[in-house]
Amino acid sequence: MNGRTKRLGDRILGGAMVAMLALMLAFLVTPLLVTCLLAFDSRSFLGPLPPPALSLRWFERLASLDYVATGLATSLKIALLATVIDVLVGTAAAVALDRGGFRGRGLLMAAFLSPLIVPAVVIGLALLLFLSRIGVIDGFTRLLCGHVVITLPYVVRTVLASLAGRDRRLTEAALVLGATERQAFWSVTLPLIRSGMVTGAVFAFAVSLDDVAVSMFLTDPSTYTLPVALVSSMRASFDLSIAAAAVLLMAVTAVLIIVLERFVGFDRLLGQGLFRS
Amino acid sequence: MSAVTIARPQELAIPAPARMSLLLLAPGLLILLSIFALPLLGLVLESLKQYVPGRVGSAVDASLTLENYRELATPSFAGVLYETFKLSAAASLAGLMAAFPLAYCIVRRFSPRQRAACIGLLVMLVLLSMLVRTYALELAFGSVGIARPLLLALGISPTSRGYIEVLVEAGLLHAVMPICTLTLLGTIQNIDPRLCDAAQSLGAPAWKAHLGITVPLALPGLVSAFLIAMTFAISAFVIPMVLGKGRVLFLSNTIYTRFSDVANYPSGAAVSIAMLVISLLVLSLASLAHRGKGARS
Repeated sequence: MNGRTKRLGDRILGGAMVAMLALMLAFLVTPLLVTCLLAFDSRSFLGPLPPPALSLRWFERLASLDYVATGLATSLKIALLATVIDVLVGTAAAVALDRGGFRGRGLLMAAFLSPLIVPAVVIGLALLLFLSRIGVIDGFTRLLCGHVVITLPYVVRTVLASLAGRDRRLTEAALVLGATERQAFWSVTLPLIRSGMVTGAVFAFAVSLDDVAVSMFLTDPSTYTLPVALVSSMRASFDLSIAAAAVLLMAVTAVLIIVLERFVGFDRLLGQGLFRS
Repeated sequence: MSAVTIARPQELAIPAPARMSLLLLAPGLLILLSIFALPLLGLVLESLKQYVPGRVGSAVDASLTLENYRELATPSFAGVLYETFKLSAAASLAGLMAAFPLAYCIVRRFSPRQRAACIGLLVMLVLLSMLVRTYALELAFGSVGIARPLLLALGISPTSRGYIEVLVEAGLLHAVMPICTLTLLGTIQNIDPRLCDAAQSLGAPAWKAHLGITVPLALPGLVSAFLIAMTFAISAFVIPMVLGKGRVLFLSNTIYTRFSDVANYPSGAAVSIAMLVISLLVLSLASLAHRGKGARS
């Protein structure tokens, strides 16, 4: 094989690779674009693209559905409450795990991350059986319990990663300069791990807002989350108001992305340990 | 006076007692124990209880039995298990094959701006509701979706079982690919690009250099990315439920059906325990692969 055919082969293969990547990106993005477009469709049925005219009729219909308003309110309440609990409890736990000074640290760390390993459906069924046996039948409490369990590991993980990545000498410098340990924590360590806390909070919020597998077990007839309501109506009928709801949820994600980019930055996000084995 | 001010901070620099750490850990441990560990133990117990048809769940004083696990050996359960594994493995493999070149391009080929845009898109996809993505796929490629005329023109029936399997796999791929790519970014960053350059300047064509150098060096990362994708896929719930329309069932869907349709909690618990064991097996493979990586580097 001479040099020219080799380079030609490289170029052809390189071109094929680029084409494949473009195809994969198209596969990832196209369905979302189609959904956005159809959510603004003015037709009352599912017709071929592009829609002849745009309208907000599906959003109006969405707003008129009772279960959407109820579900959305419950979802937001639970996601916010769970995130606040996660950040408080998870940060405290991560700080303690990072300080060490006691036995079984590795085991405890694994324990805090273990809800990520257990399939969500298993957590849902286990919690349902347990909570009904001890007499907790209120849907809101049950949902909150489930959501805290599945989202807590995200905060623990990201805060642990940012604690491990911080410059410990800064805290030592503060101590040497006369700060008490408490002052050093609040004014040096905490600001340093803020990006981990924000990342953890954003992921916890997103996971909570999206969960179906755990929530399906824990709802009661009057308390359900938006995804659970949407899944049920998805199975009942094929209605484009769900596309409108999808656009709404995409907007929430966009807000979360902006928060992440402003407070953390995507390049630093990769150092937060969420995408590491 | 000055001796005092120097001595004070030194005293405080000594790590606080373990009591403080335990105090910080207490709320988290309480949560883990009370609404995670205990319920899982309860699930194990429930899976051993005798189920009387017609009841909701088991009786409190039901006798203990292994009956519920016997069902796990039936062909219908094996079918669900096979389906779960087949589709999960195929989607994870496809996700990996797509993610590897993408991650490589992001790290080595793209300009900083393209890199930021690409990573931003992937993070957005990860954060975006799984339900939204599944619904979007259904809307685009589903049986009543906008691709229907195209499918019919190609002679593919959108309601055939084969096509529904493809659809579920597309859903899993859509979920797994961004995760795989983001996981592999770190792996590829750690590979010295000069090795590949050296091979090429010594006359190797690019594909041979990558196959001989980049891929073997990234192998531990590839293995753990595959297993991460696998654990995600085998516990997927919404994707097979929405895209599979009851024709493609995953283990997780079986568990839910035991709960919602027949209220046979003991059997649902037994399937759950089986699923948990399977997930743990896949994950211990992942940690083995990780340990291998640690030993090598």
